[in-house]
Amino acid sequence: MTTEMTPVQRERFQAQQAFFKRPSFLIQVALVIGLILVPLVPSFRVMDMMAKIMIFSIVVASYDLILGYTGLLSFAHAMFFGIGAYSMALLCYHLGSPQWHHLILATIVALAMSVVLALILAFFSLRTKAIFFAMLSLALADFFHILGRSWRNLTLGEDGVTFSLPGILNVQGQGFSLFGLNISPRTMTYYLVLVVSVALFIFLVRFVGSPVGRVLQAIRDNEQRSTALGFKTFPHQIYSIVFGSSISSMGGILFALWLRYVDPESVLGVFSMVDYLLMVIIGGLGTMYGSIIGAAFFITVQTWLPDLLRGIAANFPDYEIIQRMADRWMAYFGVMFVVVILVFPKGIVGTVQKIIRRRRMASFK
Amino acid sequence: MRKSIIWICAIGILFIPLIWIKLTPYLVLTTAGLAFGMFLFMVASGMTIIFGLMDILNLAHGALFAIGAYLGGYQILNLLNTLGWVETGSVGLSTISLLLAITMGAGGGAMVGLLLERVILRRVYGDHLKQIMITIGVLYVITELIKILWRPTAEPVLVPLAFQGSFDIFDVIVGKFRVVAIVIGLVLFVGMQLVLRKTRLGLIIRAGVENREMVQVAGYNISRIFTAVFTAGAALAGIGGTMWCIFQQQVTPEIGLDNQIFALIVVIIGGMGSVTGSFLGAIIVGLSFNYVAFLWPKLALGINILIMATILLIRPRGLMGRE
Repeated sequence: MTTEMTPVQRERFQAQQAFFKRPSFLIQVALVIGLILVPLVPSFRVMDMMAKIMIFSIVVASYDLILGYTGLLSFAHAMFFGIGAYSMALLCYHLGSPQWHHLILATIVALAMSVVLALILAFFSLRTKAIFFAMLSLALADFFHILGRSWRNLTLGEDGVTFSLPGILNVQGQGFSLFGLNISPRTMTYYLVLVVSVALFIFLVRFVGSPVGRVLQAIRDNEQRSTALGFKTFPHQIYSIVFGSSISSMGGILFALWLRYVDPESVLGVFSMVDYLLMVIIGGLGTMYGSIIGAAFFITVQTWLPDLLRGIAANFPDYEIIQRMADRWMAYFGVMFVVVILVFPKGIVGTVQKIIRRRRMASFK
Repeated sequence: MRKSIIWICAIGILFIPLIWIKLTPYLVLTTAGLAFGMFLFMVASGMTIIFGLMDILNLAHGALFAIGAYLGGYQILNLLNTLGWVETGSVGLSTISLLLAITMGAGGGAMVGLLLERVILRRVYGDHLKQIMITIGVLYVITELIKILWRPTAEPVLVPLAFQGSFDIFDVIVGKFRVVAIVIGLVLFVGMQLVLRKTRLGLIIRAGVENREMVQVAGYNISRIFTAVFTAGAALAGIGGTMWCIFQQQVTPEIGLDNQIFALIVVIIGGMGSVTGSFLGAIIVGLSFNYVAFLWPKLALGINILIMATILLIRPRGLMGRE
């Protein structure tokens, strides 16, 4: 059979054959199986952590598409996340009893809004310098943050929106049993989050590997050269921004689904951008799988660090300053963020890739 | 000829709000807007010079503003109040305590700015992406540090007795502190212009904005000039913070981020690197914010973004930005 093929086809065929035997593929399968089995662990905290890691992996991966693969610094990513979360929450809250079509409607609304806003943002800011994109997106994101805080009739202000979900996702519901296992609505939501985020992640990885993704990296590395090769910078950057922002709003929808509660500070706050940036940087810029590692690291530390600090502070009950330092655990993330950018700019996956590449070069010699 | 038409149009725009607002509240709002514009100018001028000369977009400038507010406005005035100088002093004591607060705010901002430039920013020269990320990280850390050192909630700030209350000029009520703010802002603006136009340092700075390498070739130690300019910009932000919190009569840890956004809008409107541009931008933002906040409170921040978008459409580099 292989003799009838052209060399290119043979190459592709062999690559496809090898794909399922690669160690990275096996790791991916193991990861997905592990995630499927998580609800068997009888601790809600672990399941909550894993769901958040999945959601933020998506958000961070889509941020990495804009920051790491395209080289544009957007401060509006949290805004798009918040738009997704709020469209979900507000539709379920204001339209009375939750129905399934509200979920679909929320997805459409969130996608439409984020596409339009991303287009507006890109058209205004990319005309001059890339640095304007950072500044304009920051201003726009802050505007939405203030909108979320002050438009009380719609968003209920700082109190946030608590809402319930339709059908088997409703936590008041009973759930059902399958093969003798009782599957609660929580678990169902977990699986929904799992399916959607795995699908979105595969989508993102394919996008980065696609011709458009390759051109994006070329533009990032050397804009003049890729222009000279005939690629148009502006449309490609727009693809990246629109695509990344829409995925971020999908992440927001998942976040709202999982928590069934949104408030302006946690989903729209400008400082949550620092969290995303930290996750991207720790994982490594321009590495899709790095975003999983970055999100996993961040969420794990975020879950356990406050307990740890409070435990330490309990030993010094007489010093008020230590109590306060233990309360403001976010400060340590900020310090870590600055230090990581200064001394470890490639992140975990980037550094590992560099080491592997160096070894390969050495073995060639 | 063309220039004068532009100026007439610009002054004409100033009177458009009179269609909706009566004359007396219009004048009150105008003084408030001018005062607000002066605070913004104090922050934005530092940012714009730092960007023009050093090519650094310093998002940590809001943090320096917040340090000025907490150190100068909150801490010093509280301290002096225990001596009876602030809430119960004579005019002289009020002035002295205000000046002390401003000095302290400027000093605090300058110290932190010096450290920031020497320790952190020096390592990321020439890399915009890293600069923006690191400076927003610093803003975040300093905001958290303020919450540790002081309180995470809003705190009241004392106003020196002589500057409390307001003047009543033909039914137009003008807060005394607003007048003080406008005067200080104008003094700073004129002072900056004089330094930039008349002194040797100003000459070097203006030359550096045009072309850094040539200044270096001419034998000046550009790194020392960078540090000096950054520290001066930080001190200006500190003064702005001190004045702002006395004006608002309260401080919150988020003061840094909030004003950072305003300052960014001002800098974008005015054109990066231009002090006159940021002065105009600050007045535009201050006035329009006050008019709109009076007419339609919810649109207040939106109007600034709208103005910014319009100006960017017409002049992508800002009002006074160079091509």
